[in-house]
Amino acid sequence: MTDSPSETTDTPSPLGSFAADLAGDVGGERWTADNGTVHVYVAPEQWVDAVTTARDRGLNFFSWLSAIDWSKHVEVGEPAADGDDLEERYEVLCRLSSLEDAAAAILVTTLDKEQPVLDSLVPVFGGAAWHERECAEMFGIDFRGHPNLIKLYLPQEFEGHPLRKSFALGSREVKPWPGTVDVEELPSTTNPEAGEAS
Amino acid sequence: MIENVPFALLLVIKILVVLALMLVAALVLIWGELKWSAHIQSRVGPWYAGGRWGWAQPLADALKFLQKEDLVPDAADDKVFRLAPYVMIAGTIATFVVIPLGPTVVARDLDIGVFYLLAISSLSTLGVLMAGWSSGNKYSLIGGIRAGAQLIAYELPLVLAVAAVAIQAGTLSLTGIVAAQATPLWTIGGVDIALPYVLSGQIIGFVVFLVASLAELNRTPFDLPLAESELTMGYVTEYSGLRFTMFFLGEYAGMVSISAIIATLYLGGFWAPGLSGDFLDFAGPFILTIKIFLVAFLMIWIRWTYPRIREDQLQAMAWKWLIPLTLFNIVATATMKVVL
Amino acid sequence: MTQLDPRGIVEISDGGVSVELKGEAMTLNIGPQHPSTHGVLRLVAEVDGERIARLDPTIGYMHRGKEKLAEVRTYAQITALINRIDWVSGFANEVPFIVGVERLLGVEAPPRAQYIRLILTELTRISNHLVFASSYPLELGAATPLMYALREREFVLDLIESVTGGRFHPNFNRVGGVKPAAGGGKTQKKVELDLPAGFYAGVEKAMDRVDAVCDELDDLVSGNEMIQARAIGVGVITAEDAAAYGLSGPNARASGITFDLRKHEDLLPYGDFEFDVAVRHNGDSFDRYMVRIDEIRQSTRIVRQAIHSMPSSPLQAKVPRVLKVPPGSVYVRGENPKGEMGYYIVAQGGRVPYRVKIRSASFSNISVMPKIAVGQLIPDLVATMGSLDFVLGDVDR
Repeated sequence: MTDSPSETTDTPSPLGSFAADLAGDVGGERWTADNGTVHVYVAPEQWVDAVTTARDRGLNFFSWLSAIDWSKHVEVGEPAADGDDLEERYEVLCRLSSLEDAAAAILVTTLDKEQPVLDSLVPVFGGAAWHERECAEMFGIDFRGHPNLIKLYLPQEFEGHPLRKSFALGSREVKPWPGTVDVEELPSTTNPEAGEAS
Repeated sequence: MIENVPFALLLVIKILVVLALMLVAALVLIWGELKWSAHIQSRVGPWYAGGRWGWAQPLADALKFLQKEDLVPDAADDKVFRLAPYVMIAGTIATFVVIPLGPTVVARDLDIGVFYLLAISSLSTLGVLMAGWSSGNKYSLIGGIRAGAQLIAYELPLVLAVAAVAIQAGTLSLTGIVAAQATPLWTIGGVDIALPYVLSGQIIGFVVFLVASLAELNRTPFDLPLAESELTMGYVTEYSGLRFTMFFLGEYAGMVSISAIIATLYLGGFWAPGLSGDFLDFAGPFILTIKIFLVAFLMIWIRWTYPRIREDQLQAMAWKWLIPLTLFNIVATATMKVVL
Repeated sequence: MTQLDPRGIVEISDGGVSVELKGEAMTLNIGPQHPSTHGVLRLVAEVDGERIARLDPTIGYMHRGKEKLAEVRTYAQITALINRIDWVSGFANEVPFIVGVERLLGVEAPPRAQYIRLILTELTRISNHLVFASSYPLELGAATPLMYALREREFVLDLIESVTGGRFHPNFNRVGGVKPAAGGGKTQKKVELDLPAGFYAGVEKAMDRVDAVCDELDDLVSGNEMIQARAIGVGVITAEDAAAYGLSGPNARASGITFDLRKHEDLLPYGDFEFDVAVRHNGDSFDRYMVRIDEIRQSTRIVRQAIHSMPSSPLQAKVPRVLKVPPGSVYVRGENPKGEMGYYIVAQGGRVPYRVKIRSASFSNISVMPKIAVGQLIPDLVATMGSLDFVLGDVDR
C-alpha cells in the first residue's frame, strides 16, 4: 500500500488539488474528482483515523454513511459494467463536508465480501450511530465498537439484508421487470425543440 | 301562589327545572363555541344541521355519542370508573341551586350561598381525579394528576377573590350580593347610580377570578390535563358513549355555572340599572342569561387565541402572582369598606 | 455514615437520619399513532415524574425501500419515487436527483428551465414552512394560526398546480429540463408553452398574501408571551452537536451555523438573486420557528426577483430517448426546506442506476433527539420535536 496518491482520472483543477491534499493528509491510497464529487480511498485499518483527520482538517459536518454492494450477479436490476472483471466487494462510504464553504469529500473503504467488518465511527461523530445501524441491517456489515447495533428500519425478526444484490425483490418474483418492455413514445406536444426522454 | 303548592311537588319541579336549564344552556353554549371559534378561524362552523345556522349540531352530537358502544377497559377499576363522570357533573349542576334568577326566583336562597358554591364546585375535582386514576392507563393517570394539581393550586385565588366580594357586600348570600350591587352609590341630579362590582372596586378580583375559573374548567390556556397533542385526551381517554357525553356536557355545564357565578358576583346578576321589584322577577332570567353568554364568549375567545402554558409555569403563576394579588385585593377592599 | 439501600441513599449521623428515595422510572410509550408526532414514530420514554430520563425512538414504520426500488426503475421513473420522500415539499425532492443525472450525462438544463425549477423550489419552500407555521403552534395549544397559515398556503399550491398539474407530487422535472406544459395563454407564441397565463400576476398576489400572513403570525404567535415561555430555552442544540449529528437546514441555522446550500451549491441559479441567509444564535425551539418565518420572507423576495427576469430558452436539453447513463458516480445535494437533501448516484451504463443512496434531511435531524431529550419535561419534548419539522417519509424513505 502506497501512501502517496498516484491515480487520478482528472486534469489538475481546484477540486483535484483539494482532493490530492486531502488524500495526502488522511493517508488515502488514491483519489478521484469526477463530476464535481471527490472520492478518497483509504484502507479499512485506517478508517477511523482518516475520518478523524478529515474532521480536524475542516470537514466537520457528518452528512451520511452508507455502502455499495459490488457483485457480478444481481437478482434485480442490471449488472455492473465491468461484467466478469468486476472485483466483488463492499464499499463503505462516508461523506463529510465543511460548514464554511462548499468543500466536501467522500471517504471510501473496501471490505471483503466474506468478512465485512469495520470500526465504528460513533466515537468520532455521534450522528454516525443511526447511519451505521442502517448500513448493518441493509448490507450485513458489522461495525466494531458500535454501542447499539440493532436493526433500525426493519423489524427485529427480519431475516436477510435487503440492499445486497443477492436479495430478491418480492414483487419481481411475481412479475418480471417491466423495464425490458420497449419504451413507448409519449403523446407529444407541439413543441419540436423538446427532446423526448424515456 | 307558590306557598300553596305542597313542598314535595315544589322540590321535584325545582330539581327538574334546574336540570333542564343546565342541559339546555350547555347545549346552546356548545353551539356558541362551535360558531364563535369558527368565525375566529375564518371558517363558518356548523351550517347544515337543522337548516341554516346549524343549531341542531350539538343535539346531533349528543345523540351520536349516546348510541356509541359502552366500553370499560379491562385494567380499569370498574365501580370508580363508572361513577366518575356522574360525580363530576353533579358538582356542576348543584351550583345552580343557589344562583338567583330574580329577587325571588331562586331554587334555594342559602344564607351561606357563596360558601356552598365554592364547596360544591370542588366536587368536580374529585370526579376528575377518579377518572384519571381508575382508567388503568398511564396517560389518563398523568392527565388526572395534572388536573388535580392545577385545581388545587387555583382554588385558592378563587376563594380569596370571592372573599373580597363578600367583604364588600357584607353578606354571603347571593341574592344579598346582587342587592348590594343594586344599592346606589351616588345620586346625581335625581338619578341613582349603582355599579356592578367589576366597576366599583373589584376589577382585580374579576380578572383573577376569570383566570382561576379557566383553570378550574381545564380550558385553554390551562388545558394541559386534556392536551390532545400530548396525551390524547388525558383523563377522558378511556371513556365512550354515555359517560363521555357526561364529561363533555359537564365541561360546558361547568362553563355555564361559572359564568353564572361571575355574572352574579361581579356583573350584577339578574339586576340591570333602572329596574327593580316585581319586573325583575320576570326580566331577571333574561338579563342573567345575557350576562352569562357575555362571560362565556370571553372564555371562548381566550381559548381560541392563546396556546396552553406548561404545568410548572401554571403553578408559578398561581402561587407567585394570583395569590399575592388577591391578598392585596382583600386588604384594599376591607380598608375601603371601613374608610368609605 | 452513608449507605446505599435499594430504596435510596440513607444518611445516618448524630443529627438524625435522612433518606433520599429513588423513584421508579415509568416507561411511557408515545406513538406510533399519536396526534403530534408528524406521522408514525414511536418514542419509548423512561420518565421520572414528568422528566425524561431516556428516549428511544423507533422508526421504520414507513420504510418503503426506495433505494432498492430505485435499482429497478429508469432514471425518469425514479422521479415519481423520490418526490414522495418529503411529501410536504414535493418538487424540491426531485431537483438534486435530476441534476445529478444531468451531471453524469454532461448536459445542462437550459436557463429558462432552471429558473422555473428555482421558482417552484422556492414556492414549495414557502408551502412547507407555512405548514410548519400552522402545525407548530397547534402542538403548543394555539389552534387558530393553523387556519391562517393554511389559508395562504392554498394560494401557493394553486400556483404550483397551475404550472405542474400537481399540488404535492408534481413529477415535473425531466432529465435535461422541465416538462413542456400543454396549453398557454393567448400572448404566448409557439416556443414558450410553459407557464400559464396570469402566472406572474398570480405570483405577485400570492407573495403579497404570504408576506401579510407572516406579519399576522408575528403578532399572534411569536409575540405571544405564552408561546415564548414554552419555546424559548427549550430544546437547545449546540452548533457542535449540529455538526456531529448532521443537522442541516433551518435547524442548523437556528444554532448559529451560517451555512445555506443555496449560496454554496450551483445546481440552481441562486447566484443571480439577492437574498439573506436567515440565522439565529440560541439554538432553541423559538429560534427554529423564527428562522423559518424569516426564510419565508426571503423566499418571497427571491420569487419576486425571479419572475421579473425570466430568460427565454427551450425547456429541455436534447437527451436520447432511451436514456443510458455512462459509468460514474456523483453526489448532488440541494437545500430542501427541511435541510440538506442529496442523492449519491452510481451509474454503470444501463437504463437503471446501480445504486442510489438518498440522503434525507429529517433522518439526521431527529437522530439528535435521544441526546437532547434527556432532562426535559414531556410538554417540552413535544415542543422540541415539533420545532425540528420532520416528516416520517423523509426519515424512513
